[in-house]
Amino acid sequence: MTSILWTIVLVTVLGAVLAMVLYLVASKFKVEEDPRIDEVEKVMPGANCGGCGFAGCRAFAQSCVEKGNLDDNFCPVGGNDVMKKVAAILGLEASVKAPMVAVVRCNGSCEARPKTTVYDGKQSCRVKAALYAGDTACSYGCLGCGDCVDACVFGALSMDPVTGLPVVSESKCTACGACAKACPKGVIELRAKGPRSMRVFVSCINKDKGAVARKACKNACIGCGKCAKVCTHEAITLENNVAYIDFNKCKLCKKCVAECPTGAIHAVHFPEPKPTPAPAVAPEPQKSQQDGQ
Amino acid sequence: MEQLVVSPSPHLHARANTASIMRDVLIALSPAVVVSLVFYGWSELLLLGVCVLSCLLTEALIEKYLMKAPVTIADGSAAVTAVLLALNLPAGCPWWVAVIGSVFAIGVVKMTFGGLGQNIFNPAIAARVFLLVSFPSQMTAWARPASIASAWSLSPVDAVSGATPLGVVSEGLRAGLPLDQIFAENGFSYAQMLLVNLGGSAGELSAVALLAGFVYLLARKVIKPTTTLSIWLTILGVSGIFYLYNPSAYTDPVFNLLTGGVLLGSIFMATDYVTSPMSRTGCIIFGFGIGLQTMLIRYFGAYPEGMSFAILLMNAFVPLINRYCHQPKYGRA
Amino acid sequence: MDNKFTFRIGGVHPADRKLSRDCAIEVLPLPEKVSVSMAQHLGAPAKPVVAPGDRVKTGQVIAEPAGFVSAFVHSPVTGTVTAVASKADLAGKMVMHIDIDVEKDEWAEGIDLTPELVTPLPDDKQLILDRIKAAGVVGLGGATFPTHIKLCPPPGKTAEYLIINGAECEPYLTSDYRMMLERPREILIGAALMQKVLGGPKCIAAVEDNKPEAVESLKDALHFLQLFSKDYENIEIRVLKKKYPQGGEKQLIDAVTGRQVKSMGLPIDAGAVVQNVATSFAVYEAVQKKKPLLTNVLSVTGDCLPPERQHNYLFRIGIPLRYIAQVAGGVPEEAVKIVSGGPMMGKAIANLDATTVKGSSSLLYLSAKQTLRREEGPCIRCGKCAQACPMGLEPFLLKKLAEVGDQQALEQNAVQDCLECGCCQYTCPAYLPLLDTIRIAKADVLNLIKSRPKN
Repeated sequence: MTSILWTIVLVTVLGAVLAMVLYLVASKFKVEEDPRIDEVEKVMPGANCGGCGFAGCRAFAQSCVEKGNLDDNFCPVGGNDVMKKVAAILGLEASVKAPMVAVVRCNGSCEARPKTTVYDGKQSCRVKAALYAGDTACSYGCLGCGDCVDACVFGALSMDPVTGLPVVSESKCTACGACAKACPKGVIELRAKGPRSMRVFVSCINKDKGAVARKACKNACIGCGKCAKVCTHEAITLENNVAYIDFNKCKLCKKCVAECPTGAIHAVHFPEPKPTPAPAVAPEPQKSQQDGQ
Repeated sequence: MEQLVVSPSPHLHARANTASIMRDVLIALSPAVVVSLVFYGWSELLLLGVCVLSCLLTEALIEKYLMKAPVTIADGSAAVTAVLLALNLPAGCPWWVAVIGSVFAIGVVKMTFGGLGQNIFNPAIAARVFLLVSFPSQMTAWARPASIASAWSLSPVDAVSGATPLGVVSEGLRAGLPLDQIFAENGFSYAQMLLVNLGGSAGELSAVALLAGFVYLLARKVIKPTTTLSIWLTILGVSGIFYLYNPSAYTDPVFNLLTGGVLLGSIFMATDYVTSPMSRTGCIIFGFGIGLQTMLIRYFGAYPEGMSFAILLMNAFVPLINRYCHQPKYGRA
Repeated sequence: MDNKFTFRIGGVHPADRKLSRDCAIEVLPLPEKVSVSMAQHLGAPAKPVVAPGDRVKTGQVIAEPAGFVSAFVHSPVTGTVTAVASKADLAGKMVMHIDIDVEKDEWAEGIDLTPELVTPLPDDKQLILDRIKAAGVVGLGGATFPTHIKLCPPPGKTAEYLIINGAECEPYLTSDYRMMLERPREILIGAALMQKVLGGPKCIAAVEDNKPEAVESLKDALHFLQLFSKDYENIEIRVLKKKYPQGGEKQLIDAVTGRQVKSMGLPIDAGAVVQNVATSFAVYEAVQKKKPLLTNVLSVTGDCLPPERQHNYLFRIGIPLRYIAQVAGGVPEEAVKIVSGGPMMGKAIANLDATTVKGSSSLLYLSAKQTLRREEGPCIRCGKCAQACPMGLEPFLLKKLAEVGDQQALEQNAVQDCLECGCCQYTCPAYLPLLDTIRIAKADVLNLIKSRPKN
């Protein structure tokens, strides 16, 4: 009986002493933090993807609170909705951005872009890109090892086994840009999502001269400039033998699509009349050669 | 050939691979297996078969149905575990003990950690210890056939049950007998320990057979001698000190080296790649720990033999040893 | 010679396979067109100084250095420049090339083409250096670092050892071996020239013990030269125990001098300068014959070739690899991979239309059985990679850290010291792509280190 009593007393005393210690330590080492940081963090998506340029959602929230303006802070995952909430909490003005989506700018499918060598190293685009120009005659296009798929924390990317190219699932893509960073060839670009997801873009970044590019890949942009001539909105520029459509200027008239001799210009998610190819989503900036080497 | 193969260097690979290394270990174990079969006959063959079958089956079933991964029993690692486990069991032990040991070794010790290369403890040693504490009577019933012929006779054999030399010594000392008397009464001799040491686990039968395996492993460069020698030297050193202090109460160094699981453990289990340190210094520390604990358990513990406990305990320290022991780096001395 | 030296940490012993060792050096006939790369050396690609339509003579400068670390490039033939344009190199990467239609082989003036051995060394150090630089000599052991820079130690550093690297530790390669057999005197004169420039350090020519004939040949040549002049007194021939990668600068310095180059340091920090035997020969030609670096020796070899089809060719730079393969009897059926350089560190050729460069050393044919990657297994923590690493690194750990992208830990574990010698991947029983992974991590960490402000 006494032993039970002793046990109870001992444990109670021990608990009380430890609780005191914890309390003292907690109050002594308390870190004063702006409570708004917690509030902001609560409305964040919580993916910690780093798409905003900060280490995670909390770091982003801290930056928003400390800077006192939201000019340079934007959460690509939460988009305007989340930024509006953040702005409301902090009493600031949020910048409104058009929703973006990752677009694969290569349409050199296995069929269109025959292999010239057999790659036999680690299945990694970075290893392959560091080793040589690639296993096709096109040294600009997708290497097909799926570094972008591995980089996506939202599961929005997958490799199409038929084309050998990555496919973006638009419903899952948050435009965090991780895939674009992971691609050693700079094939993936973030482009404006467009009204009802309708977009027109050049799905190629091959800077070789027309004949060379064509020989390497049937679907390559050969830099003929027909699209630029037909465009009435000055949205298309031709540089380094490759056309680029500025998504801020493009009015989605699709004239260029019909004009392109190689089908390198893709128009996606347009209503029926003209069915379009390419399920893949791709934009086309000028200098997307963010070579990872 | 028009499409050239392109890959990063190096473009060649050494001949050894995981499967060939496991094959080498099996070859190195074969003298010990043969000796145990010769002396223990059918009962040992049964144990060996049961262990191999249940280890392979356990691994295959877990990989296929639980992990939904490719079955990798062809790499030979499960077979090595099986043979080691069989050699760690007393020859007369019931077959179901072997089955439980195999399932434990592969299913619990190896596969729960993720399979080959991921386990913390050596599966065979862990299973031996598990069986020893779970089924002490079956695991210490050291059968010893009256003769080789009776081991292989088809009629039921009246096996003589006996104790291991370590057990005999431990009993004798507890009874207060001086060592030389125990030795003389039981007719222990070094030659006998070296060649055929009846009693004990099947694999502890012949020191010569185990040493032959050691030489083979060294010659094939499967293992480095560091760990093994470190264990031996520690055992010789520690028992040497005690022996010199009181020769009638503490067994001598050579006796300690040749009896029990020291040779089997130090050559085949402590050198297991997965559960031993990577660096030379690490191996020396690891071996020292095993040797020291073995001797402490033998001299002062409740069990007459401590090799398996020592290896198991030191396995747990391997991550720590690897954390702090590195090999010298070029230009950073 | 019982006490043979070798480097102390790691190393592996791949089978020798020096199949072309008994094939004397043959002069490769000139093709109809050559295409000379501007990136034949480490550093900035050279700047072309000719234009399409220009007539050039053999040995005439066609491109100038474009920076401190860069080198002259000379025309390997006499003919007309047809194009100055980007072309794919052997990895398919675009590099500026000068295409020349070959007409004949008329050498530019001032070049001594006689076969006589010139033994007296010039007295003027600067003259020697200028000639080396003007001849576009680069390190022919693999790295192709411009030689004249290596021979000018930075202020405050002095060379105590000049090591002539005749290790040729890579399997299959025999070009250095043949040079040591056929041109030992020239090699040693080149060594003496470099010794002079460096202010007279101890010169040691190091050869592995699998090439006893080369050792004999160099020793004979040394005795011969020592009869002529005192300039050759301070040269020694040293036999090393065979082990890969003995030919790596850092390993060779360790093996020969017992010193180690500190991490991220240069050989000169350990008081050593290492030059390949072929470089030494090129220095001889540049200084004593005023002949620019236009030629080198290349082995055409491999297990797929019968003995009579093994070759060692003296080639001119700019010759298409496909042409060499054809002259040597075509690419064998069994070959799936052609490597330029040794099988451990060489580059797999993706584009046979690429051309030879100063540092080309082989066309090595490998069969599928020899070279194709096998299925990866799990790491069995055997530690063989760590035992094999000549830098004392732990490749298994580096691979794991690289996979989680922990650059800080990678740097702490010295990924930047990796030689990319391939010992780890060669030896891994689980066929893990250790070096593939580590190479990328190393590049990342080096970038990180470079981006830091220096204090």
